[in-house]
Amino acid sequence: MKGRLVTRDPTSGICVLARVEIATFFVLLSMPFLLWSRPELITLATNVLILSMLAISFDLCWGYSGVMSFGQALFFGAAGYLVAIVGRDLGFSSIWGSLPLAMLAGLCLSFLFAAILLFDRIKPTTIFVALGTLTGSYAAERLVSGWQYVGAGNGLSSIRLLRIGPIEMVEGIPFYCLALMLFSLCYFGCRVLVRSQFGLVLAAIRQNEEKLPFIGYCVQVYKAVAFLLAGVIAGVAGMLFAYHQGFVGPGNVGPSLSTAAVLYCLLGGPGTLIGPVLGTAVVEVASYFLADIDTIRQIWPLLLGLMLLIIVVFRPNGLLGFIVSDRERIGSYGRGGSKQVRTTT
Amino acid sequence: MAKGYGRPPTEGIDRRRVLSGAAALAAAGWSAGAGSWLLRPARTLAAAPIRIGIATDITGAFAPWGNANWQVAQFVVEDINRAGGIAGRPIELHLADTATDPRIAVGNVRRLIQEYRVDVVLGGISSAMRQAIKDPIVNRGRTLYIYPEQYEGQECTKHLFCTGPTPAQQCAELIPYLIKAQGRKRFALPSANYVWPQQLNRYVRKVIEANGAEIVFEEYYPLDQSEYSATIAKVRDGNVDCIFNTVIPPGVQPFMRQLYETGFQRSGGIVILIYYDEMSLTYHPIRELDGLYSCLDYFQAVDDPFSKGLQERYSQRFPDTKYPFTAGTGATGMYRGIKLYEASVKATNGDLAREAVSAAFDRAKLANGPGGSAEMVPGHMHCAMNMYIARCKAENNTARYEIVGAYDRVDPREC
Repeated sequence: MKGRLVTRDPTSGICVLARVEIATFFVLLSMPFLLWSRPELITLATNVLILSMLAISFDLCWGYSGVMSFGQALFFGAAGYLVAIVGRDLGFSSIWGSLPLAMLAGLCLSFLFAAILLFDRIKPTTIFVALGTLTGSYAAERLVSGWQYVGAGNGLSSIRLLRIGPIEMVEGIPFYCLALMLFSLCYFGCRVLVRSQFGLVLAAIRQNEEKLPFIGYCVQVYKAVAFLLAGVIAGVAGMLFAYHQGFVGPGNVGPSLSTAAVLYCLLGGPGTLIGPVLGTAVVEVASYFLADIDTIRQIWPLLLGLMLLIIVVFRPNGLLGFIVSDRERIGSYGRGGSKQVRTTT
Repeated sequence: MAKGYGRPPTEGIDRRRVLSGAAALAAAGWSAGAGSWLLRPARTLAAAPIRIGIATDITGAFAPWGNANWQVAQFVVEDINRAGGIAGRPIELHLADTATDPRIAVGNVRRLIQEYRVDVVLGGISSAMRQAIKDPIVNRGRTLYIYPEQYEGQECTKHLFCTGPTPAQQCAELIPYLIKAQGRKRFALPSANYVWPQQLNRYVRKVIEANGAEIVFEEYYPLDQSEYSATIAKVRDGNVDCIFNTVIPPGVQPFMRQLYETGFQRSGGIVILIYYDEMSLTYHPIRELDGLYSCLDYFQAVDDPFSKGLQERYSQRFPDTKYPFTAGTGATGMYRGIKLYEASVKATNGDLAREAVSAAFDRAKLANGPGGSAEMVPGHMHCAMNMYIARCKAENNTARYEIVGAYDRVDPREC
């Protein structure tokens, strides 16, 4: 079965993953034209973009650096809360201030977690990091749901609209374009990073973490850098989400959204960057339409759970695993590598 | 219905093509549209329909409240459509489940506005929900919003009308009645820790103190607290003779049970639960409810031919329903909201523009409704209505309310 998977069309120089990426971006770019008369679908597409950024941030952690982070929603929600509070108390919502603020929030919080979880004297196991981040996310949810200043269980609603200069960004095509721009920046930033020499070290960590210290690499530092970057991306996504929804509540920082990020990524295919984007699109679009059917809506969370279980057991490489070989997924570094990809697995 | 992505990628021979086209298929599925929870008018009238959106808690902790609201909305709209619609136009009802979770609600409500382009949204049970969905409806959605539930007051947003009772309507008569007619002197205010009890208690404290009684304690508990022995000890030690209770489900059941077990009611203590109606009586063993006071805009015991007829037709429409037509759920507010909207659109001669309907709604009147007539107080966003103080009587294994005080056209005193 596996032998038949031709990962690369011998007649052209572009591999499958790149084709999927090009197709996805083509679809994303054409959205405003396809859906100009359907504002609700533009809203959905914007949500997919924003949640995709959250999924990518998880992919950086797990798919590329082996940090099982169940806390991405914490960075996501914290940035959302921060911009909501700044908007409420200081009346400030310009993107030139909010964006750095959200990035800083994601960075500081992920730094805190990295300091505690990754730089302990004992080498942290996957389970330790997973439980640590999960606990952090859960604790944050309980904290904000009891804290009057941030709206307690009610959350913060009527968030000021995001401003770019004099323009107020209401949901719709302009907001979609903004989200697409930030999404593309994050995506290509990550893509360059994971295919750079830095990414090579991350790949080496995935292959054989024990061996790397002997070659002189400080594994935890590389992991932490990826984790911090993921925190920043989650922060940006959280800011966009808060402005887009006009609401931020305890659910935005909690484990359920963190788990959703894991699901998006594992469904689409971890370690591919584009996989989490497709995973997010599949889950969000399906739940948007299936929520209309009474019987399915009631068991939808169960279906999602089953889907995750099946994927983890039978398809650890997610949907993209059907068309992208392991070798291509892991990628090739430098010029020499590209020839090896030509062979089939 | 979104067939595009239902097809597993394994089916195709050319997998690459299938998956690289997956996003395109998804887009195709999107434009195919989706079925909604839509109640179309039975007979298609020629004119374009008026779209009313109901955003309420069909699932989650407030599901019984939300389902009652939804049923009453269907009931009223069917009535109006049978009579030829509003200004010759039929009503189309759209439902969004707010799921007792503001995070889900914001998305669903926005869909109501963007996809179904409703002309007005009615709904929301808890104050947390109202605060979460009012921005997507009123500000971002530029749509009229009507909130039907009794609540803590102070909601003075433009284009947001409240058709349920306010603290002044629920407490301005009830508390003096308890102090003067029942001789209550020492109050306790055990409460759930969220916005409704916090704001309501501020008002209640003022009324109690103005009438010369005393508040022994005012305390706030997590919503899901189930152990109240410390509170009940305080009730006993403080010689409390009246408990103004704003604990909500799921905490209210253990609270009432533990209070009953100490014999508070048997030794003459009074419990007030101002959101309790006929539906809430099924939440407790009957003996715990005897002597409970509530104050709402309607009880089934109200002796008014129109209300009785309404109640009868409702039970014909929904036989053996778990969600009766009562006031504490906000269902009466929902009835008023839709009827007042009908009156407003009639007044604008079918003009559905928000400014016009808002201006008409501000002066709208309802001659007959559950509990009697009601009218908006111009410029105050709230509704003057009849209020009733009721006492729960438990006998022969059934609990029912007896009306002990009726007050005509009580002013909301808001905004």
